[in-house]
Amino acid sequence: MDCRHNFFNEPTRRDILRWGMVCGAAGALGSLRLAPAAGQDVAGTGTLPGPHLNGINRHDAMHWEPTSDQRLRCTLCPRECEVADVERGYCGVRENRDGKYQTLVYGALCSANLDPIEKKPLFHYLPGTAAFSIATAGCNIECKFCQNWQISQFRPEQLENSTIVTPERLIEVCKARRAQTIAYTYSEPVVFYEYMHDTAALARGAGIGSVMISNGYIQEKPLRQLCRQLTGVKIDLKAFTEKFYRDTCAGELKPVLATLETLKGIGIWFELVILIIPTLNDSADEIKQMCRWVVRQLGPNVPMHFTRFHPTYRMMNLPRTPVSTIERAREIALEEGVHYAYVGNVRMHPGENTYCHQCRHELISRIGFNVRANVIADGKCPNCGAEIPGIWSQQAAFARPVAPSVTGADTSDR
Amino acid sequence: MGSTCATYARPDGESSGLRKLTRREFISRTGAALAAYPAVAFGQSHGAEPSARVVVARDDALTKGVVSEHRGVLRGLLDAGMQRLAATSDPRTAWRKFFQPTNRIGIKVNTLGLSTQPAVVDAIVAGLRSADVRAENIIIWDRFDVELLNAGFRLNKSTGGSRCFGTDADAIGSGYQREIESSGQIGSCFSRIVAEQVDTLICVPVLKDHNLAGVSLGMKNFFGAIHNPNKYHASNCDPFVADVVSHRFIAPKWRLTVCDGTRAQYHAGPGRHPGFAWHFCGLIVGSDFVATDAVAAALLESKRAEAGLRSLAEEGRPPRHIATAGARGLGIARMDRIEVIEV
Repeated sequence: MDCRHNFFNEPTRRDILRWGMVCGAAGALGSLRLAPAAGQDVAGTGTLPGPHLNGINRHDAMHWEPTSDQRLRCTLCPRECEVADVERGYCGVRENRDGKYQTLVYGALCSANLDPIEKKPLFHYLPGTAAFSIATAGCNIECKFCQNWQISQFRPEQLENSTIVTPERLIEVCKARRAQTIAYTYSEPVVFYEYMHDTAALARGAGIGSVMISNGYIQEKPLRQLCRQLTGVKIDLKAFTEKFYRDTCAGELKPVLATLETLKGIGIWFELVILIIPTLNDSADEIKQMCRWVVRQLGPNVPMHFTRFHPTYRMMNLPRTPVSTIERAREIALEEGVHYAYVGNVRMHPGENTYCHQCRHELISRIGFNVRANVIADGKCPNCGAEIPGIWSQQAAFARPVAPSVTGADTSDR
Repeated sequence: MGSTCATYARPDGESSGLRKLTRREFISRTGAALAAYPAVAFGQSHGAEPSARVVVARDDALTKGVVSEHRGVLRGLLDAGMQRLAATSDPRTAWRKFFQPTNRIGIKVNTLGLSTQPAVVDAIVAGLRSADVRAENIIIWDRFDVELLNAGFRLNKSTGGSRCFGTDADAIGSGYQREIESSGQIGSCFSRIVAEQVDTLICVPVLKDHNLAGVSLGMKNFFGAIHNPNKYHASNCDPFVADVVSHRFIAPKWRLTVCDGTRAQYHAGPGRHPGFAWHFCGLIVGSDFVATDAVAAALLESKRAEAGLRSLAEEGRPPRHIATAGARGLGIARMDRIEVIEV
């Protein structure tokens, strides 16, 4: 069911009756909407009636520079698309019109759901809370295993029932829903940068946090500018080889590593997800090299989530990742000094839980995306007193230092 | 009709300062340009040395006014082109050689930036009708209704007469297919028009430059048949253009290319840029879509050289997709295997 209309539209009599039934059923079943479909990250897209073109909403884009003959260069992501008049960048959501760059997805939401923050996954960020999760069309890479390709690999006008939601309206909805956090997620939020930036700034003023769930394929200047407004980040580290990024994602590894180092330098809270795919990025050596780099460059306190692949999109020829492979990846991470390594997409696995890095005491017990118990007190282990890295209160989310701008760089918003 | 005098626009305006070339000059220049275009750059021929025929039909009457004023001239040019392709003196016989009354024909135009002229498409429809193709079996299409309208096409989503609508139309058979189709390196949803509604294709691109692919001609035009062309502009769109047209929805159905050169553009495409507009005043017609693109690309290169611009290769955007298509056996890309007929 596409729940977006119930968040943003005035309800009709039919809506009220239908939602009454749904809520009744939800109440009977407990936490109904916290469980995702297997292999499908985003609720709602599974029932989209297929791509259909609707119309285009235009808004001035940030981070581009003119070149010649009404052409321009996008400087938002490392791809640096050279875009001629009437053409779009690789992402499909930024268009050159008469030599000026425009975003076509400002507020054009195609998905909106109230998710547990654990679904992002962010395990060390306000555990057990809900994040109002939104997306638009588009992505700046193309992973052949994308779980949300029905929105990430389409243009905005091709998605049926996209709804324009202003940042102000979104904040109102979050307040009404008592969501402590907005998650920019599902597709690739870098491509709806302008909307994310403006909304996060407004949300910060309203005491609502903002987390970006991203592939990390973004240039340093826009990243730093954005992080002044964000309160957390999750990055998909797809693999640790350029070959994988090139052949499987149409992207590059190096800029993603640069993003991680920038995040570390800024001091914003972030976690990593690594989707382990049989034969492509599951070698023990590659995982070991990755973990060593993380510990060395980012420190041991950055959580790493090793998640299980399910066949989808253009990668239907590979099997599901064996649970033993995920378990082995987690073991390697712990052996290499990562303090918090998790198993993902494996229900009821002890690797979903958080254990104190110092005394191994169980701190947070989870079942899927639900938190069963959380004994962390004031950010510390109740058993040994060790400080547990993460964001444990909304106050802490806003307490970090404001990210400095790039030295000498132009900080204008174009 | 029948004149082969070429007229060229100055870079600073569409039709001012025209300089006429004589028939001898035109043939000499075009022939030299085509011959000079590096044959090896357009792939390799194998075995029995297959060949292709492409007709370049021009009339300087098209220089004057707007193209829609010259419907008779366009019909004459097109019929002449079809007759030379079919090697017959009878226009109807020529059209019947390529099209049967039972065909369901999709006419893919290009309305992004510098657009296909509706009058050219009208001439094609008239030719098809002369071959007893039912009007109801003809769909003129592109990506968007709004772009078709802006280009001067009249939308028709009814069941009466030839239809005209975009893939985005709220019409029966519009939209994209739900499933991803793979072809080479591409993975795309195809327009339902090309996938489900038609069994025969006519491609009507514009003779124009493209900032990444080098040229935007017949093969590149079918980027408008997939939902995600933005993903496939790297490496001069190569091999992605060939991947798209190789697909079973395109290549086996593609019967004819009529490249609209009435109003062309030799630089800064695909968007409209008056500074590089070119009144080529003609049509490039061929049944081998690779050969037709090869000839049109050579004409653009010739014009660029005449205007003092660097070649597409020197600008880092050679139309490599033509060579790739030739190498795959989709058609003839080598200029020395193409018979160019001027009328």
